[in-house]
Amino acid sequence: MTIARFEDVEFGDDLPTFDPDTGMENVRRFAKAAQMMAARFTDHEGAKKEGLAGAMVPGVMSQAILAAMIHRWAPDADLVKIDTIFRAPVMVDERHHVNGVVTDLNEDERTAEVDLTVTNDAGETRVLGTATVKLP
Amino acid sequence: MEVEDLKEKFLKLNFDEAEFHVDGDDMVGFALACGETAARYTDPADPDFHATPTFPARFHGRRMLPRDIPLGGKIPLDAGKAVMPQKKIRPGTKLVGRSHLHDIYEKTGRSGRMIFLVSRMELFDEAEDLACIVDSRMVVRERPGE
Repeated sequence: MTIARFEDVEFGDDLPTFDPDTGMENVRRFAKAAQMMAARFTDHEGAKKEGLAGAMVPGVMSQAILAAMIHRWAPDADLVKIDTIFRAPVMVDERHHVNGVVTDLNEDERTAEVDLTVTNDAGETRVLGTATVKLP
Repeated sequence: MEVEDLKEKFLKLNFDEAEFHVDGDDMVGFALACGETAARYTDPADPDFHATPTFPARFHGRRMLPRDIPLGGKIPLDAGKAVMPQKKIRPGTKLVGRSHLHDIYEKTGRSGRMIFLVSRMELFDEAEDLACIVDSRMVVRERPGE
């Protein structure tokens, strides 16, 4: 379900979840576009040499994935602010899920506050955040 | 390392300036890799084609913190990032990013004190219009007794 107008949103609404592509090929594509071609993002063995468990999805990519979820939910919305906390690494080649829930509405501003998470298959929250979204 | 001293000496003072060129191919690659589907982010032929709102978070200045900030030899860890878009960013735009410390605060828990440093980059376009604000939160941890 997509949202066209502020009036379509209700407190507690869940955004449609999706599983982002956090496979190595796609992370390399992101890293190239973001000019972040570091081994800790693009190569498991290189990341291990840096003392990591494996390659990690860049935090900037996790944040942009959360923004993409908002756009899928409300295609004409404008993002006023997105604030993310990188609580734990999002590992490349592991499956992740992005989720959002509406936690506040401001009728005067026509904005919605959305709580955001990136979780892994174990149900662990790796990234969390909030967004303020302005709706038509 | 007292927070009030750090605030007095470092807050609100620009410590870095850097230029960035916004490339259309990078905008598309960034958007598609993150799962964007809207043509305004993914199709350069779209009349409203512009960068995704968080695209400016990829820009990094030459320094994340003032050169002489005393952190006791500790390396700050990435604690989060906030993006506040102000204007649509089109391909070919040249941006200037100016950075300052926007906030410094501390939290104390059972594992000791944590000092948070919020480095704010303000990105301006060729018209000197503010295009985006990016806050990078960094944390320095102290152990009890340090």
